[in-house]
Amino acid sequence: MSASSPKNQMTRRQFLARSGALGALGLSLPAFLAACGGSGSSSSGGAESLFFDNWPLYVDPTADGLTGTVDRFMAETGVKMTYGEGYNDNNEYFAKIQPLLGNGKSIEADIIAPTFWMAGRLINLGWAEKLPKDQIPNFANLEDGFVNPPWDPTGEYSMPWQGGVAGIAYNIDVTGREIKSVADLFAPEFKGKIGMLTEMRDTIGLICMSLGIDPSKITSFEDAAPAFEKLAQAKADGQIRAFTGNDYTDDLVSGNFAACVGWSGDVLQLGKDSPNVRFVIPEEGGTRWCDTMILPKGVKNSVAAAKWMNFCYDPVQAAQITQYVQYLSPVKGVRDELAKLDPELAENPLLFPDDAANARLRAFATLSEDVEAKFDEEFSAITGA
Amino acid sequence: MGAMIIASLCLVALGAHWVSGPMVSVVVLALVLVLGSVLGLAVTGGPEARRLLAPYGLLKPGMLWLALFFLAPVWSLLRISLSTKESRFSVQYNFSWAFQNYSTAFRDFGKQFEHAFVYAAIATVLTILIGYPLAYVIAFRGGKYKNILLGLVVIPFFTSYLIRTIAWSTILADRGVVVRVLHAVGLENVFEWMHIMDNGKLLNTPAAVIGGLTYNFLPFMLLPIYVSLEKIDTNLVNAAGDLYSSASRAFRKVVFPLSIPGVFAGTLLTFIPAAGDFVNAQFLGNPNTTMIGNSIQDQFLKQNNYPVASAMAAVLMVSIATLVLLYTRIFGTEDLA
Repeated sequence: MSASSPKNQMTRRQFLARSGALGALGLSLPAFLAACGGSGSSSSGGAESLFFDNWPLYVDPTADGLTGTVDRFMAETGVKMTYGEGYNDNNEYFAKIQPLLGNGKSIEADIIAPTFWMAGRLINLGWAEKLPKDQIPNFANLEDGFVNPPWDPTGEYSMPWQGGVAGIAYNIDVTGREIKSVADLFAPEFKGKIGMLTEMRDTIGLICMSLGIDPSKITSFEDAAPAFEKLAQAKADGQIRAFTGNDYTDDLVSGNFAACVGWSGDVLQLGKDSPNVRFVIPEEGGTRWCDTMILPKGVKNSVAAAKWMNFCYDPVQAAQITQYVQYLSPVKGVRDELAKLDPELAENPLLFPDDAANARLRAFATLSEDVEAKFDEEFSAITGA
Repeated sequence: MGAMIIASLCLVALGAHWVSGPMVSVVVLALVLVLGSVLGLAVTGGPEARRLLAPYGLLKPGMLWLALFFLAPVWSLLRISLSTKESRFSVQYNFSWAFQNYSTAFRDFGKQFEHAFVYAAIATVLTILIGYPLAYVIAFRGGKYKNILLGLVVIPFFTSYLIRTIAWSTILADRGVVVRVLHAVGLENVFEWMHIMDNGKLLNTPAAVIGGLTYNFLPFMLLPIYVSLEKIDTNLVNAAGDLYSSASRAFRKVVFPLSIPGVFAGTLLTFIPAAGDFVNAQFLGNPNTTMIGNSIQDQFLKQNNYPVASAMAAVLMVSIATLVLLYTRIFGTEDLA
């Protein structure tokens, strides 16, 4: 709009010279990039470093006068640890690492936290490194129920991080009443205020149980088809407000969700600050799962990773994690340690399910490759845009 | 000229991953040699040679840009869209003329294409309705405050696109400010009747998605309109008045026709990115308002289905190009602002 002063005007000669130079720069760029491509980032000497990429709300932070587990670990071992919260959804994270691990490149994280079925997939694909068990003496503290689990039959590749239960989370301010059953998620009074997880095994698992289908005995898509139909119908009716990953917690607290499928520990943690937010294992039963620690293929800091795993499997340390995250700990002796810290919590059936509670919990069946592909396809047709 | 074509081919080859391993350095070497010889010729050659080479030298930046940032990506997109995966979790795509990717794209995602175009079209019309009067006031009545007013329009957009959109989800939340005020004033029923609100919700409705698109793309409409209005000589309006034209007639016959290039440019700048947008539908929509951008993102980043995602992206590109060509034919003007 404003006329430029003669000083700023380029002569034709200058223009040619400069654009020539720019062109040359553009040309040398690919060669330069190619030259850079080879040299990966090598860890600089000095202190050991470690990068654990985990789910949100999944370790005790340094706050309220308490030192968090990560900080205690760093103080004790001198390892420089980076703790990430990059997980929001298993499939999303898988898509992020697949182009790298699938092409034989390593990823940045030293430990990742896939849920059990995803851990099984990574192990089957050969994208997991064997754990240096000789450096993890506390591996012996693994709860019996988690020894050689179906997703890792030899127990060489994964260590559970935390277990948990999927049930119904609700905001009693919005619902105005206690929620007891999965049927409530489909009640017309909550139209457009219901959240479902993109975690297929939890969402479909709960609906299956409400329809009298045992999710631990599913072998083919037909077994679970009624649950898919019910979910598709609810979506078409506008009953469902959103399909979310771990970020369901925001909508639950703000009251956008009246109720949603949620994970026990998250909701118990949220309940500390927002007492309106509650968790219930539905009458029809809930699903049981666990997230694992896995060393991705080509891991750089496996020694530091082993130190971390060993540290977390010390019942004293594990109890402090449990006290904060309020999930099911896979470490033996945590209940006794927790009783010293918080006797009331040590009696909470959501953290330490008794036989009656256990009878209502089911783990989703291990699906064969083809069946899983069908489940994923059908589920993403409903949730995935 | 030949040299330029070879150079461009080399770049496309690099960009589209035709070559791999040691071949990369060979291609790069060929590229450098070809361009080096052209440059050498230009420097050492006589005036005749230079005169011949000059036009191509001038074309060089544009052609290289086009080759590296347009032709190569489009080529590899089209290739992947006709490929199949070796296995479910494979990252290898084998080119196999797999047109079924396109039929999948149409069959499974027709609704999402429809949402994308309908929402983007409504948002574009709304940005004109809001942006035009605003641009008009700033251009003709702004006086010495023109720049401040323009600044006020643009400043919110210094914040990240994502943050602005997420901020709307807080503002429109069920227990947020807007819904509470509407409830207190009693306008809730009017909004429900207009289908802007759904069952007491403002957030996660089609209206919220369209509103988000409108808000986010407003400056892209306003600024081109402002530029073309600003250029209009007010004497023309005065002249219309001298010829006994009413103010509204002067606007219709003089001001509006002269501002059409701005509206035209603004429409392109708004509609094209809005049709491919996924952020607004992600944060302000619900599972029944997903746009094609969400589906493409989901297929690329969650389902790892690059072939189908590429086919969807190609369909989106072609349909937008067709719509824009039609629009240009019907409303196009020679001098774009």
